[in-house]
Amino acid sequence: ENISNKSENQESLFIKRDEFDERVQEILIESDVSFESAERIVEMLKNREKKLSRKISYDDIKSNLRSVLYDVLSQAKSDLDLLNVDKKPYVILFIGINGTGKTTTIGKIASYLKNNNKKVVIAAGDTFRAGAIEQISIIGEKTGTEVIKHDFGSDPASVAYDAIEHARARRIDYVLIDSAGRMQTNKNLLSEMKKIKRVARPDLTLLVLDGMIGNDAIEQAKTFMNEINFDGVVLTKLDTDARGGAVISVAMEIKKPIMFVGVGQGLNDIMRFDPDWYLDKIFSS
Amino acid sequence: MVLENLSSSLKDVFKKISGSSYIDKETIKEVSKDIQRALLKADVNVKLVISLTNRLQERAATEKPPAGMSEQDFILKIIYEELLSILGEESRIELKPQTIMLVGLYGNGKTTTAGKLARFFIKKGLSVGLIAADVHRPGAYEQLEQISKQVNSLFYGEKNEKDPVKIIKNGLDRLGDAKVKIIDTSGRDSLDDELIDEIKRIKNEIKPDEVLYVVDATLGQQVGPQAKVLNDAVSISGVIITKMDGTGKGGGALSAVAEIKSPVYFIGTGEHMEDFEVFNPRKFLSRLLGMGDIDALMEAV
Ligand SMILES: Nc1nc2c(ncn2[C@@H]2O[C@H](COP(=O)(O)OP(=O)(O)OP(=O)(O)O)[C@@H](O)[C@H]2O)c(=O)[nH]1
Ligand SMILES: Nc1nc2c(ncn2[C@@H]2O[C@H](COP(=O)(O)OP(=O)(O)OP(=O)(O)O)[C@@H](O)[C@H]2O)c(=O)[nH]1
Ligand SMILES: [Mg+2]
Ligand SMILES: [Mg+2]
Repeated sequence: ENISNKSENQESLFIKRDEFDERVQEILIESDVSFESAERIVEMLKNREKKLSRKISYDDIKSNLRSVLYDVLSQAKSDLDLLNVDKKPYVILFIGINGTGKTTTIGKIASYLKNNNKKVVIAAGDTFRAGAIEQISIIGEKTGTEVIKHDFGSDPASVAYDAIEHARARRIDYVLIDSAGRMQTNKNLLSEMKKIKRVARPDLTLLVLDGMIGNDAIEQAKTFMNEINFDGVVLTKLDTDARGGAVISVAMEIKKPIMFVGVGQGLNDIMRFDPDWYLDKIFSS
Repeated sequence: MVLENLSSSLKDVFKKISGSSYIDKETIKEVSKDIQRALLKADVNVKLVISLTNRLQERAATEKPPAGMSEQDFILKIIYEELLSILGEESRIELKPQTIMLVGLYGNGKTTTAGKLARFFIKKGLSVGLIAADVHRPGAYEQLEQISKQVNSLFYGEKNEKDPVKIIKNGLDRLGDAKVKIIDTSGRDSLDDELIDEIKRIKNEIKPDEVLYVVDATLGQQVGPQAKVLNDAVSISGVIITKMDGTGKGGGALSAVAEIKSPVYFIGTGEHMEDFEVFNPRKFLSRLLGMGDIDALMEAV
């Protein structure tokens, strides 16, 4: 069930304020908005409706909820136009916990840049996971992008360094740095990431989150922000039935922009984050 | 005193009712709300949370606490029992020659877990062959091949074949000597009809002894519904919960188990092949609820 179904079923109903709040909170939580954010949204909603009578229709709520969420999300919009950046090479680093979609997203962004006649090089910065170098190499082949790689187990910071040097020497426009998935609880891997960041000095660091993520989104984003820092978020796998409520909690609690969303496994399955698109998705089936 | 062992959101719940020796319906309702809160924060599916607290209210209204047990300890005991009944008691995967297929959502840890399982069986003296049947993800073949070297298992795959059934049939044939055969499959979700059809076809033609669902502990509300669709498609026989080394509470995974109604065999606690433990339902619950040693707690109860 999604938000509109819930409300359509009870379109003509007028219900008590309290039940209403509960229902809204439940719907938000079902969309994987973090518990705290869901509570705050209900508060915001109440403030907006203070002037209304005690009883209120689902339609009122629906449009008010949409506009509250729109306000939250429009603060999380990014003005960055990847095609018009003022630095060369423009270095983008991808970070996140294991299996969220970092490497796949790099393929998608490489493909987008190449389609817009940009020169791109990828740094195979995951030197740890089995098959990671092969995975990124295949993605490089598919997108016609050069991949700078070292041996399995080598220092990822030096792979990043080499890729950037390579880009400078050949006047390549973008360097996309892949990294091994790392839990935000793993101190060693966090300090490895600090080193990568120190060496690569990325212009843009993107945290990649799994679209199915629950309340842990905030836990991950906070730790990565404090330990590594990042400029924006990519939320993947939104082609599934995931509601991706993490975009709302990240916007509210971390105050970082949502840059892109992943909508499939293919190279073109990526979009800029657009609040209206997102709200349409969760408000209608 | 039992309540002193609670180190969590639930602690506040029980603070409210401690002291009162008699609990009326209203209080139980209020306590239910707080328990709901704790479960929702841990990503337990909303519908499951509601049915759990309905059970709690029912039982609290009809059952009497055993002699000498306070009302609040009794409420704790009920919710704990209800959660435990979802997970079941500790159960072990059988140590026998068999064919195991791993299924699950994108990037949840199937391929890595194939290696961890192989290592587990090999240590128990059963030889293992890994079969690479993920024909979609770039580098899936190489990933499993390298993992098989790390754990010293046999390996079979066909780089350019696009039909997973063909690969598996050839693999089962060629790895005939291995006692345990483990099949790695592509990640998939409930909305992708083609991939759901693919896994049905594999299941029907190969008829593995075990179909294990590999699920990530950091995921949220949709995991339960996702698991239901996959379970309907291939009837899952067991579960492995991964990424327990993070801060995810595993409520999504718990909701998947509630749908599948099959035992959880292992948890994954890291990227390395040795980061793998036998599942302990009590330990899992104490983490989910944010409580300390729940076993000691329940004994005290
Ligand atoms: N359906 C869908 N699948 C995706 C999307 N993005 C990534 N995936 C899949 O998720 C799985 C993991 O993706 P990867 O790109 O390997 O993830 P990663 O973060 O690089 O993983 P590690 O390097 O192991 O930490 C793969 O099966 C991808 O095809 C998406 O937007 N939609
Ligand atoms: N920290 C941690 N990482 C894990 C665990 N299990 C798997 N991983 C990591 O999660 C990522 C994804 O694992 P895979 O085994 O590739 O996942 P998969 O389900 O096969 O992915 P697809 O085939 O793309 O659907 C990798 O980076 C693994 O190293 C675990 O228990 N803890
Ligand atoms: Mg990767
Ligand atoms: Mg895999």
